[in-house]
Amino acid sequence: MPETAQYILWTAFYILIFPGALFTSVVGLFLAGVDRKVIAHMQRRIGPPIRQPMYDFFKLLGKETIIPHAANKFVFLAAPVIGFVSLAIIMLFIPIFGFTAVSGSADLIVILYLITIGGVALIVGGSASGSPYAGIGVSREMVTMMSYELPFVLVLLAVARKVGGSTLVFSMEQISQWQVENGHMLFQWSMIPAAIAFLLIIPAEVGMQPFDVAEAETEICEGPLIEYSGAPLAVFKLNTAMKMIIMTGLFTSLFLGQFRTGYYWADALLFVAICTVLTILCMTTVHAVTARLKIEHLFKFYWTIVTGLALSSLILVWLGL
Amino acid sequence: MFRKLMSKSAMKSPWLYHINSGSCNGCDIELVACLTPRYDAERFGFKLAGTPRHADIVVVSGPITSQSKDRLVRTLAQVPEPKCVVSIGSCPRSGNVFKGSYSIEGPLEKYVHVDVSVAGCTPKPEAIMEGLYQAAQILKKKREVMGK
Repeated sequence: MPETAQYILWTAFYILIFPGALFTSVVGLFLAGVDRKVIAHMQRRIGPPIRQPMYDFFKLLGKETIIPHAANKFVFLAAPVIGFVSLAIIMLFIPIFGFTAVSGSADLIVILYLITIGGVALIVGGSASGSPYAGIGVSREMVTMMSYELPFVLVLLAVARKVGGSTLVFSMEQISQWQVENGHMLFQWSMIPAAIAFLLIIPAEVGMQPFDVAEAETEICEGPLIEYSGAPLAVFKLNTAMKMIIMTGLFTSLFLGQFRTGYYWADALLFVAICTVLTILCMTTVHAVTARLKIEHLFKFYWTIVTGLALSSLILVWLGL
Repeated sequence: MFRKLMSKSAMKSPWLYHINSGSCNGCDIELVACLTPRYDAERFGFKLAGTPRHADIVVVSGPITSQSKDRLVRTLAQVPEPKCVVSIGSCPRSGNVFKGSYSIEGPLEKYVHVDVSVAGCTPKPEAIMEGLYQAAQILKKKREVMGK
């Protein structure tokens, strides 16, 4: 059956190479490098080269992996891999303008769950390491997740309702198609608060500076990652970098989905360019001008200001504006 | 090729872990000065790690007081291979002005092999940068030996 073989080959290509594992890792590490370079320039430093996160990744692969005596060996080693797999799969559901690898009727819900698995992997790995510092980090990571999940769901509901009209549409392809017909979601005035809320969620999801309470390295020694070394740590660092492209990519396809160049490669290049701009806008700049929050301030910030923004957008959309 | 990439990366991204074993804080300030915009050690990939498990280069300052000796040895044992030990200042080399004191159990050489030793009381940030850069090169050699 040549058709079945072809289907399997294409699926493998999608998962392993183009929107999946390889593309997401390389672009994620590139974005992490841009972030470090730009923040260095903001602080009047020269900064590391843009490929620095790749050096970090390969160096960590070449290091010895120490498994602490108190750790649950299997869970300790499996957690980063589970996170990596779920994050690599998310990218299949996010349309890169004209190109969608996998499309279904409830993509947004799948994305929501898979992003949560990325965070849960950190929690599980941290708890398995058996360090008290990791325990503190894990509890903080859980609070962080609770804080941003609520406004995140509200933003996605607002988008789904806006596209669906009187029903909810969770299909990324339909959202993309709707934007081709009606213009960027960002320029619908009722969606502007939701877009701002989404931009504020991105740094918490990725774990960047003002919201990196869970991995506070000066305070609780990198929290859940404290006992990790070598290859598992490399995969965790890669997961963080992949979250950068996934979150900015999700924003791009939800709110700036009108662009079409007609060529898949040009679409992908434009996609990466927009993601880079978004990274600098909502992660690097915020990182450069703020200090780390306390966990209760983070929780309060997300459940008042950000949830308020997302909710106002949802109400406006529900009223048909 | 993969091994070559890993040993090149070992040189390009050394993460530091700083242990103060009873230092007067002078060397610690100079080490921090290396990371500030003026000297910017991050352009070579140096980064301060939060835990010894993430470290490649362990930077030790201070004359190894008897209070800090056990903790120093235990922390050094937690660093994964390949690793380098860099001593900063005259204290870990000789004990400096504290030499002969009942509470000093230096020099550092007694407990661990020191790869690079930066002398001075306190060494200038330029000297520390030079020492750290040499340590990064030693790290590359160690990684190459490990690969074989």
